[in-house]
Amino acid sequence: MLNSLEKFANSLSNWLNWVAGAGLVAMLGLVVADIIGIKLFSWPIPGGIEIVAFLGVVVTGFAIAYTQVLREHIKVEFVVMRLPQRAQSVIAAFVTLLGLVLFVLLAWQSVEYGLSLAAKGTVSMTRGIPFYPFVHAIAFCCVPICLLLLVEFFRSVMKAVKG
Amino acid sequence: MSSVTVGIIGIGFLVFIFLLGMPVGFAMAFVGFAGFCYLVTPEAGLSLLARDVFSSLSSHSLTVIPMFIFMGSIAFASGMSRRLYNAGYTIFGQMRGGLAMATIAACAGFAAMCGSTNATAAAMGRVSLPEMKRYNYDDSLATGSVAAAGSLGILIPPSTIFIVYGILTGESIGKLFVAGVLPGILLAILFIIVVSLLCLRNPSIAPRGAPTSWREKLAGLTGVIEMLVLFILVVGGLFLGWFSPTQAGGAGAAGALLIGLSRRQLNWKGFLFAVKDALRITCMVMVIVTGAIVFGHFIAISKIPLVLADWVGGLPLPSAAIMGLIVLMYLIGGCFMDALALITLTIPIIFPLVLTMGFDPIWFGVIIVLVTEMGVITPPVGVNVYVIKGIAKDVPLETIFKGIFPFLGALIVAVGILMAFPQIATFLPSLTTY
Repeated sequence: MLNSLEKFANSLSNWLNWVAGAGLVAMLGLVVADIIGIKLFSWPIPGGIEIVAFLGVVVTGFAIAYTQVLREHIKVEFVVMRLPQRAQSVIAAFVTLLGLVLFVLLAWQSVEYGLSLAAKGTVSMTRGIPFYPFVHAIAFCCVPICLLLLVEFFRSVMKAVKG
Repeated sequence: MSSVTVGIIGIGFLVFIFLLGMPVGFAMAFVGFAGFCYLVTPEAGLSLLARDVFSSLSSHSLTVIPMFIFMGSIAFASGMSRRLYNAGYTIFGQMRGGLAMATIAACAGFAAMCGSTNATAAAMGRVSLPEMKRYNYDDSLATGSVAAAGSLGILIPPSTIFIVYGILTGESIGKLFVAGVLPGILLAILFIIVVSLLCLRNPSIAPRGAPTSWREKLAGLTGVIEMLVLFILVVGGLFLGWFSPTQAGGAGAAGALLIGLSRRQLNWKGFLFAVKDALRITCMVMVIVTGAIVFGHFIAISKIPLVLADWVGGLPLPSAAIMGLIVLMYLIGGCFMDALALITLTIPIIFPLVLTMGFDPIWFGVIIVLVTEMGVITPPVGVNVYVIKGIAKDVPLETIFKGIFPFLGALIVAVGILMAFPQIATFLPSLTTY
């Protein structure tokens, strides 16, 4: 059960990471096109700054879960490493649970916040791009990371119980 | 309970869960929103979490981070680190300690395209360590020199730490970048002097490399020229006010891409590697910055920065002594915490104090970067040392840390020089056109 859940979360994270990659390349393309437009033709891309900013959500939001798969989120390990295995598992379960609570709340609040922006009809100033899909995208990006943290939590608890 | 007490408990709990190994960005966001819930209302805290995360990820000023990181990743995937090392080798290779000097010069060059210490150390370590091993360099000198010179990545622009410092304090990223140029060159020279002194004391630690012909020297220069072109485009563009920071990063990444393609050094596989590498590092940095923004809001309403500034302002100490204490605090903190985490955690608290004492915020940014450079090479959390250990798997960690110490001395000397002559950091920014 845990294995298949982890496999699904890993695969979803990997796919989202490719979306983030496409966002990064698009961001670079847009920034360069904007520079060329401004410097050579005195014609900046209309709303270029807004689109680049929204792509920022895609680049980081969609890459968060895969960075978790790679265990690349920066953490301080030197204290825990010195503890016995069982204590390490208990601590891992505790901090993973805190992370899980954080991302569940973030997902929930992002859905709520997105709905409130949609209800108000908040859009960007130049291109009139609605904000809410990007806020909901953050909520969606929390799904794989919550699954990954859930799997890690159960694994740590099992390790702690077995010793 | 007063808001200051809640703030102090929040900081204490944050340090506690840091030490338990919770990812730094997650921990700051968690404590930030929980503290905000307590001090204001649970609804306000929860709402803050979603709003801060969205506004941080969709902030145009933060898109400078992925652009500069992408630039460094493409520069590495295009083989620029190897060409820079080859250039350094043709210049210094025949001298005693020449390979270590070449490594330092190449690190300084790569730092002009890359804004991260560990990426610079990893890029140059992969190229230079096998060479130094081939010439029977002492393991301590070889690994210590790359780990230390890799730290130039955050001093010589572009620099992730300057970007984050600029975002957190509202200082101009362009001015901060320009401020890092002269101290970066100074530090690279100090590192090279350290290598010469070590070789004078014990010549056997660093044998001379094979001589190179003038033709090879000239060929090696192309590696320097492409780096200079990129550096002038990016930092010159910022200096003259042509580019916004995001545009400068984009121009640099596009320039690195063009160089890689025109030299036929960057294929599709290399490009995909650069994209994935840039995403990974961007995400690491952005998660911490976002967490710091949430945490910063909590710290702001706790009123700790105000109380601290008042208290320190009332101490019967000259401001230079207080600055010395701040530097010492960063030095000790840097031993135990990641550089970015330490800066994002402390800047919201310390920066108002620095302004109150009348220090130049740009100069302080350079000092902070220098001190965090020490943090990335000192035990037990010297990230660069672990990066180098990952490359030189047969060299014990103690040997690398032993090799670091002479370079740590150079960093301390650099901080002293910058304290005595702040103009080294403030002169170039004073010439900027904006």
